[in-house]
Amino acid sequence: MSALDWIVLIATLTIIILYGIWKSRGKQNMESYFLGNQSMPWYIVLLSIIGTQASAITFISAPGQAYTDGMRFVQYYFGLPLAMVVLCITFVPIFHKLKVYTAYEFLEQRFDLKTRTLTASLFLIQRGLSTGISICAPSIILSSLLGWNLYWTNMIMGGLLIIYTVAGGTRAVAYTQTLQLAIIFGGMFLAGWMVIHLLPPDIRLKEALQVSGKMNKLNVIVTKFDWNDKYNIWSGLIGGFFLALSYFGTDQSQVGRYLTAKSVKESRIGLLMNGFVKVPMQFLILLIGALVFVFYLYFRAPVFFNKAELARVHATTHGPALQQLENKYEALGDIKRQQVKDLAAAIEAGNPTRVETARTALQITENNANAVRQEVVSLIKTADPAGDASDTNYIFLHFVVNSLPKGLVGLLIAIIFLAAWGSIAAALNSLASATVIDVYKRLYNDNAAPEHYLRVSRLWTLLWGVFCIVVAQFASGLGSLIEVVNVLGSWFYGVTLGIFMVAFYLKRVGGTATFWAAIAAEAVVLAMYWAEKVSFLWLNAIGCLLVLLFALILQPLVRRR
Amino acid sequence: MTEKELHEEKPPLLPSWGYWYVLVVIWLLLLIVLFYLFTKTFS
Repeated sequence: MSALDWIVLIATLTIIILYGIWKSRGKQNMESYFLGNQSMPWYIVLLSIIGTQASAITFISAPGQAYTDGMRFVQYYFGLPLAMVVLCITFVPIFHKLKVYTAYEFLEQRFDLKTRTLTASLFLIQRGLSTGISICAPSIILSSLLGWNLYWTNMIMGGLLIIYTVAGGTRAVAYTQTLQLAIIFGGMFLAGWMVIHLLPPDIRLKEALQVSGKMNKLNVIVTKFDWNDKYNIWSGLIGGFFLALSYFGTDQSQVGRYLTAKSVKESRIGLLMNGFVKVPMQFLILLIGALVFVFYLYFRAPVFFNKAELARVHATTHGPALQQLENKYEALGDIKRQQVKDLAAAIEAGNPTRVETARTALQITENNANAVRQEVVSLIKTADPAGDASDTNYIFLHFVVNSLPKGLVGLLIAIIFLAAWGSIAAALNSLASATVIDVYKRLYNDNAAPEHYLRVSRLWTLLWGVFCIVVAQFASGLGSLIEVVNVLGSWFYGVTLGIFMVAFYLKRVGGTATFWAAIAAEAVVLAMYWAEKVSFLWLNAIGCLLVLLFALILQPLVRRR
Repeated sequence: MTEKELHEEKPPLLPSWGYWYVLVVIWLLLLIVLFYLFTKTFS
């Protein structure tokens, strides 16, 4: 990075920290610390919800996903607007009516203390570990691309935000997320504009889209149903609905955002607006990836975008074999550069036969190039079994670091930090609220002075921040961290959603039946995962359905006793 | 705030929350149609 990039990076991060501290001023108590005195307007709630969900990996990984697999990943979000509607009808009025700090307080009022404590504990385990991994995932990518020390990158990624999160609580989190998102959207728009600008002069947005589409990267809608295909319209609508309902309805890191709204009305508008903007937002982020794909048809792309991993293989006895594959890929790149020009000229001429001929030729070369990439992946797995054999997360940042002008590189790196900070700050705030409200205050000390609870809340925010950084320091050896986060979520999300589903829709089922149903379902979910019987993505649905089923079976037995 | 007040809290612009929910669903359907046309146009 150049000096200008460093200045932009440090200045942007400093502005956010100072803004967070400035927003932390004023008299506080536990209600202001965790609920912001329930004074937030809908647009702050909306931006806070988006800022919490959109982590660093969202902005790093999604363009890479479009580069490798096309834009069909956007279908994953189709269930989200439907989930927002269900939340507004069912969850939001109940949480506001009961004036809860956390979603799990509701479970004690509906069931009993043990069910509340169990659900809060599941959240603390899952969110605590996954936040640590969320710190490590972008740190590994940045340290690998820029040669930074991973230990210190983790410290900055997870450490600096603690300053304003501890000082200002949820209010500081929400307002910094607002400013962070403004910078993030501005930077991403500039990156998208630069991709078009850097293409050859005769290739504008329309031509770039046509080339990308012909190479099947604009496959936004896939209507064919396939159990083994993760991203089609059906899995997006059904699976995405349950995932979004579970995440926004039962995960305190999101519930804590819309509980800060000044009324049910403001919560609902914030959530419904999220239903309006989330899908187009993901579409635009993915579109940048589809355009980066076109960029790398015209300009040289590395055979594998994680250069640190390539360097490790080069240093082994497999180095010469890798060099051969790189040469082969480079030669195919030269052919592709000519073929994409032929395709663009055929599209410009409007001759369908010529377009199809040029497209087929380019597709064959692209398939050959992908085959070489697969050989490289196999070689990496052989030479470095502990290494990361997927380079999807490196594609967009490789483009940023190697192709964007000075200053903009610093801004885009800052965006990765800001996106990480937004979701981590909300996670720390929610971890502290669940610890203080559902465990400390409820079980150990329910009669202390308000100042005491505020001090304890700040202390737990700090302790969770330290815990997550410690997890991050040990997480680098876990393999694909995005998959680890998803696996962790799938262990607990389904069961947690099942408990809330029983609470809302099975009115005759009581706390004891639900508690033991959840324990049994969690045991089955973990056993199924270890037995490797089903893909971890299905564990969400299985966990939820098992809790409902077991609770219905257990309820008559519990009543009889 | 009573339960009645919670349910009667009027939404902005539209006469009831039901209209807002329908609007979100229509928006999703519209996006799916537009994305489908986008996919077909550029494929």
